[in-house]
Amino acid sequence: MQIPVIRNTQRLVLRTGINVLLGVKYLFEVKDMLRAIVFSAALIAMQGSSLGQSNKAPALALKDLRGRTVRLSNYKGKVVLLNFWATWCPPCRAEMPDLIKMQREYRSKGLQVIGITYPPEEIEEVRQFIRKLGVNYPVALGTKETKTLFDQTETLPLTMIIDRQGNIIDRIEGILLPVEFEQKIKPLLK
Amino acid sequence: MRKNRVPALLGLILVLSLATISAFAAIKTTTIRVEGMKCNHCSASVAKALKATAGVEKVEVSSEKGEAVIQFDDEKVTEAKLREVINSTGFKAIEEKSAKN
Repeated sequence: MQIPVIRNTQRLVLRTGINVLLGVKYLFEVKDMLRAIVFSAALIAMQGSSLGQSNKAPALALKDLRGRTVRLSNYKGKVVLLNFWATWCPPCRAEMPDLIKMQREYRSKGLQVIGITYPPEEIEEVRQFIRKLGVNYPVALGTKETKTLFDQTETLPLTMIIDRQGNIIDRIEGILLPVEFEQKIKPLLK
Repeated sequence: MRKNRVPALLGLILVLSLATISAFAAIKTTTIRVEGMKCNHCSASVAKALKATAGVEKVEVSSEKGEAVIQFDDEKVTEAKLREVINSTGFKAIEEKSAKN
């Protein structure tokens, strides 16, 4: 008769042991879970703060071909396309008639294209080129540093899209395609 | 019943084989020489414009070699159209070096 009692005691001890182990494991799991929750909350908070950070376009004051100052801040309230280009860059030249057309068609809706040259550049060559094409928007003389303020690559052409509040909202690397205008710029011109 | 099934099965096999053959035949690869692609930073526009063209599957542009290797569906886009797209980016598509299935 003693044998079943011993067996029961052993079973009880064993079961208790397993339960204790499971309990410890559970505690660790809870701890891990709590840690994960705290970590996720921190991440969300960080993302929230980065979203909250403004993506304001830097202040820009550059000289145009006549020596007048072109200030980006003067165009607040407009949708600005800041187009970095060079006379020696074939796609930059190729997209300029489209930029001229956009400026003509959407000026009344608040679009403002601003061209910024990228070195090495001869002022006379720029002058002749924009005269020949009939560029209808301001063109300022930029440096490598000017472009670095907006973009770390050397891709040309490059167009920064700045909203009416002066925030950079997108960038277009390479030639501006009609589909990109439709999707990224046109919705801002309402 | 069995007699009715045989022609239907044969028909199905025929349709499937034709579909497979046409699917494989549609994809071509061509190498187009591009003149004036000297600046590395500008050549990205060629790849971008080609990739945005309907029927273009894959594009590799090399400014060093001065060429664009394009995989395309010849039922959706022609080589002439591809050259036109390259020309629209300010460069000049010279001639087709090779075209293979």
